[in-house]
Amino acid sequence: MVLSRRTLIAALAIAAGRPARANDPATAAAFIETRGRALKEVLDSDSPLAEKRDRVAAILREAVDVRGVAQFVLGRHWRTASEAERAEYLSLFEATLIRNLSARFGELRGLRFAVTRAQPRGEEGVLVTTMVEQPGQAPVQLDWLVSFASGRPLIVDLVAEGTSLRITQRSEYGAVIQRGGGRLESLCWMRCGGS
Amino acid sequence: MSRPRLIAHAFALALVVSGCATVPPQSDPEARAEYFERNDPLEPLNRAVFAFNEAFDHLLFRPAAETYRTLVPKPVRTGVGNVIDNLLVPRTAANQLLQGRPDDAAKSIARFLINSTLGVLGIFDVASEMGLEPQFEDFGQTLAVWAGTTNGGPFLMLPILGPSTLRDAFALPIDMAMDPWNWVGQGDQVQALRLGRYAVQAIDGREQLIEPIDALRAQSLDFYSALRSVYLQRRERDIRNEGRPAARRFVDDR
Repeated sequence: MVLSRRTLIAALAIAAGRPARANDPATAAAFIETRGRALKEVLDSDSPLAEKRDRVAAILREAVDVRGVAQFVLGRHWRTASEAERAEYLSLFEATLIRNLSARFGELRGLRFAVTRAQPRGEEGVLVTTMVEQPGQAPVQLDWLVSFASGRPLIVDLVAEGTSLRITQRSEYGAVIQRGGGRLESLCWMRCGGS
Repeated sequence: MSRPRLIAHAFALALVVSGCATVPPQSDPEARAEYFERNDPLEPLNRAVFAFNEAFDHLLFRPAAETYRTLVPKPVRTGVGNVIDNLLVPRTAANQLLQGRPDDAAKSIARFLINSTLGVLGIFDVASEMGLEPQFEDFGQTLAVWAGTTNGGPFLMLPILGPSTLRDAFALPIDMAMDPWNWVGQGDQVQALRLGRYAVQAIDGREQLIEPIDALRAQSLDFYSALRSVYLQRRERDIRNEGRPAARRFVDDR
């Protein structure tokens, strides 16, 4: 019997005792579920705000594909950038992203969340839908795009009520670079306030 | 000089002063792709209008929305918002018909009838509790459905009214004409009511956006392009009817 390559890989995966199927909605949903629980635990704890933010940032750093998002956001400018520029941009981008996200979540308390759906999104990965509810407020739909490109699940986009974070960011970074005459330094100029 | 002519002159002057964004040359296909994706050939003019809008928002619009929030308690605001939303339902129903969705139009009409009667002129959103969730349609969305594309043409920043596209700006006066409330009654009092309704609608809308807009402004590298991107993404979702607007709540411990 001739085994096709795919069957062989599947057989090997089963033999190895772990599913190698990429873009598995259940895996992605479980991934978001555990990270969400960890986040909720930190937010509901009684630690001081600064410490909470640090712990939230740590969870995000582990769960978010910062480098992947950074490349997506820079788009075509990534390829023309020098190694030094890339490194500087990456550290800048990571700091901004984590700061913005921790600021967004850092002060929330008593929020409840539920994973409601996970649907494959082709090459991009799996879109995991969560409903997040803060006490006394209408539930908000947050969609997490989970990519398996790196071999393990990582968040590559956050879609809040229909607005994709990375698409919005790409549009902004593109605008800033364009207005800076197509130079990447214009990004730092924006952040560093002219220095 | 007549007012329309004055506006036309100001527009022409602004075009000359700020110029249009130039299309990147053929030799740079990626820059061209980005240019067409951005779809904002009037960007310099739009940014000038945006600067005016920002000043207007800082000085008048946002403070008015904050005052409204401070002075009017949440349950009253919810009731007012429900009335405003209810007045928009006939327009939604008309657009659902035009989009070839008679079932949804029937639901909207049922929603309108229930909330206008049981809900006391729309103050209470009884229909949502009966499973008739709120829906919003406008003629811009209908045009997009007819055209079979979510691409609304060049992005436009309208004075006071904010982000739009060629399609949505074109649809705006048609929406006004299609709104049955603009057909009934005449005289100064009716006119005053009409203006009052639009004013309340604007303040109510801005009040709900205080936090989201503050957050976007604080976190964006370039607020103009962030707003442009968010507007286009939201419109796309509205056109595809992927979002579900939630019913307003009477209690809120914000």
